[in-house]
Amino acid sequence: MSPITGELNRRDFLKYTAITAAALGLSQIDVVNSVSTAMAASSSKKPPVIWLEGQDCAGCTTSFASALNPPVASIILDTLSVRYHETIMAASGHQSEEVLHDTVKRGGYVLVVEGSIPLADGRFCTVGGRPFEDILKECARNAAAIIAVGACATYGGIPAAGPTGAVGVRDVIKNKPIINISTCPVHVDHLVGTIVYYLTTKKVPPLDKEGRPLMYFGETIHDNCRRRSYFEEGMLLQDWNDPKQKNWCLLDKGCKGPVTYADCSVRRWNDGLNFCIDCGAGCRGCSEPIFYEGMSPLYSDFSGEAEKLKQEANQRAKMRKEVK
Amino acid sequence: MAESKRITVDPVTRIEGHLKIDVEIENGVVKDAWSSGTMARGIEILLKGKDPRDASYVTSRICGVCYSVHQLCSAYALDDAFGAKVPTGGTLLRNLVMGAEYIYDHVLHFYHLTALDYLDIMAIAKYNGKDKELNAVKDKIVGLVKSNDTYPLTPRYEPDEFCVNDPDVVIGAVKHYLDALSMQAKARNMGAIFGGRQPHYQSIVAGGMTQLPDLNQVLMFKTMLDEQAKFVNEVYFPDVIAFGTGPLLPLATGGVGGGHYNYLSYGALQVNPPRKELLFPAGVITDMDPANIQVRKFDPAKITESVKHAWYENSKPLHPSVGETKFDLDKEDAYTFVKAPRYDGYSMEVGPLARLLIAKDPTLLDLVKQGVKPGAVARHACRAIETRMVVDACYKWIDQLIAEMTKPGFKIHDSDHWEIPENGEGVGFYEPPRGALGHWINIKDKKIENYQAIVPTTWNASPRCEGEVRGQYEESLIGVPVPDPDNPINVVRVIRSFDPCLACAIHLIDPQSNEIKKYIVE
Repeated sequence: MSPITGELNRRDFLKYTAITAAALGLSQIDVVNSVSTAMAASSSKKPPVIWLEGQDCAGCTTSFASALNPPVASIILDTLSVRYHETIMAASGHQSEEVLHDTVKRGGYVLVVEGSIPLADGRFCTVGGRPFEDILKECARNAAAIIAVGACATYGGIPAAGPTGAVGVRDVIKNKPIINISTCPVHVDHLVGTIVYYLTTKKVPPLDKEGRPLMYFGETIHDNCRRRSYFEEGMLLQDWNDPKQKNWCLLDKGCKGPVTYADCSVRRWNDGLNFCIDCGAGCRGCSEPIFYEGMSPLYSDFSGEAEKLKQEANQRAKMRKEVK
Repeated sequence: MAESKRITVDPVTRIEGHLKIDVEIENGVVKDAWSSGTMARGIEILLKGKDPRDASYVTSRICGVCYSVHQLCSAYALDDAFGAKVPTGGTLLRNLVMGAEYIYDHVLHFYHLTALDYLDIMAIAKYNGKDKELNAVKDKIVGLVKSNDTYPLTPRYEPDEFCVNDPDVVIGAVKHYLDALSMQAKARNMGAIFGGRQPHYQSIVAGGMTQLPDLNQVLMFKTMLDEQAKFVNEVYFPDVIAFGTGPLLPLATGGVGGGHYNYLSYGALQVNPPRKELLFPAGVITDMDPANIQVRKFDPAKITESVKHAWYENSKPLHPSVGETKFDLDKEDAYTFVKAPRYDGYSMEVGPLARLLIAKDPTLLDLVKQGVKPGAVARHACRAIETRMVVDACYKWIDQLIAEMTKPGFKIHDSDHWEIPENGEGVGFYEPPRGALGHWINIKDKKIENYQAIVPTTWNASPRCEGEVRGQYEESLIGVPVPDPDNPINVVRVIRSFDPCLACAIHLIDPQSNEIKKYIVE
């Protein structure tokens, strides 16, 4: 008898289902919530959501699916009514197109857009045989709110540097406010927080001049960087192997923190686990409209800006010494 | 005269990217099939003229699901072009990040991208057991039904005879679907301990890694791995085997979705760096006889790409080193943005099934001996088998990493080779969860002169080539039963068994410049 398959039967399957359910306790939040949710669900009206993917990599979807607190299962099933999302929906082909059509007709949904829109030629991105630009325009018409997520949907991102004429939603939809939640990919906290803000107030949160929620994009990475004191002392990391330099400023590795507005320095990523600067790589400026083309070269000074900043820091260091 | 009907599934959902599948059905089975990628961005083109070190960051964005593999493969190509020797510490850290990627990717694929094709979720309502947690799952789903809002779980193709409808089994599987949502996120966070953040890890760069780890981070990784290992060994692996040898046995032994029996693996992941032995060996199988598997040596010089049915101007099939790409959106006979790579003229399958056949994995061979044929179900089984292999390898890498870290002079980066060479060429080969991946770079005057990637889905989702040989998606659909053309559930089952990643497959496009691309394969 095979050691792999021979012994396994339905009863065993059920047994370990129950064992893992009890032992792992992985979905405890789902379980705790679900009884009350199930009872409340029949009277609750979950806000409908359409999530479109244009020229995307699904990285923003993956980021959204990283939500642990609250867990993504609870967001998808208990909080929102995700009518259309190519990467997660059960439906395929004409069924999925029908759902989209139906939801658009009824209106009042939150429209989330991931990925850029190719204006050079509609054939660079088609879904269900239709150019993505047409689908976006149709979905925008009856949307209660439009949220562009990630660098591509906000400002064109990496595809904007390519040959397809890729732009963000704001270059296609001009008669409605667009909430731009940039960074590549979108930070799940930024997205969930913005959705909750909208559902609570039915208003667009205060935005900066690039359409980004001020609550997340009000200060630069550099303003709040924990390596800032090393920057002020001119201690800049040169060798990733040297334990002494481990926490030094990453400006000489091309860090774009000084010109990048986002709260990653304080929020960090993945439930505070790590982020681009903590891991020694440095900020690549992914929340800014000029990303990617305008931030390249990513790993060295991209416009003489870093040299200027270093000189200013030197001046300040000198003044501090003189005061002492 | 048999009645023939052509149907189109567009979009094929629950995959990465934009895919359209056309099938011609005659007498209830697929007679012919066409696979079309319908989105392009031009990632390789926009890299031209850039700082070569940007490549590992930018190519990560080829795909937001399997980002790390592009970052790594690109870094391999850069290591090669820069002449960098990645220290053992750097290799171990890279391997651990890749281990996390494997675990998350395979688990996500099974539960969230394919399981809905094999389950009649609504059978949950008939669950009468006493288990408290399972009843909570039942209440949740019933609540959705009562509120008349079961999105995104419906609409769906109607369940057929291969859908599991035993309420006790279905409810367990749905619970695991929900559990796995948290597990896949946690596995990616595990990778972010050394990768910097996810999605789109940051710390993998030309020459090694950027984050000098501390022991507490390693212990954190290990603790998180323990939780993943438990889920993989006690939930995911048994689920796949129970489904494959239970309700899906007819699909498994029928070899539904088998396609060409040609398999390719580039080989990847040093088991015990700096020693060369690989967790997944390289090799080639053509026209396989399952009873007598013959594996040949992989020779990179035998790769060619055909554009006969892709939206590029016609040319002969060429080796990537002399490949010529001219864009043509109006070309007749073309139906996709995906090119058609071939190995020695053969249309190949890459991915878990290819890897484990080439490795002659005993667990897979045991299943084959019991009558499981290469096909959709076997692919799922191979994912489960190799996820366990990767979990075991991660524990070894952790032990080795701790040993390395506690030695004086521990290194993660070759800092003598961070500066860009004046000129250079490099190639990187890797085996991501979806299969064989290659990145090629050419550097001239310290800038990227040319960049090219041939990704797993390019191999699997390729269109016909010269001689009208179908790509593996297309071939694997031939003979697949579709009794009801309005409910082509077997078509999407077969396609999803490959874990398609279309954003990966179509990154190359150049409408204006029509430049000749040159790539060197060693």
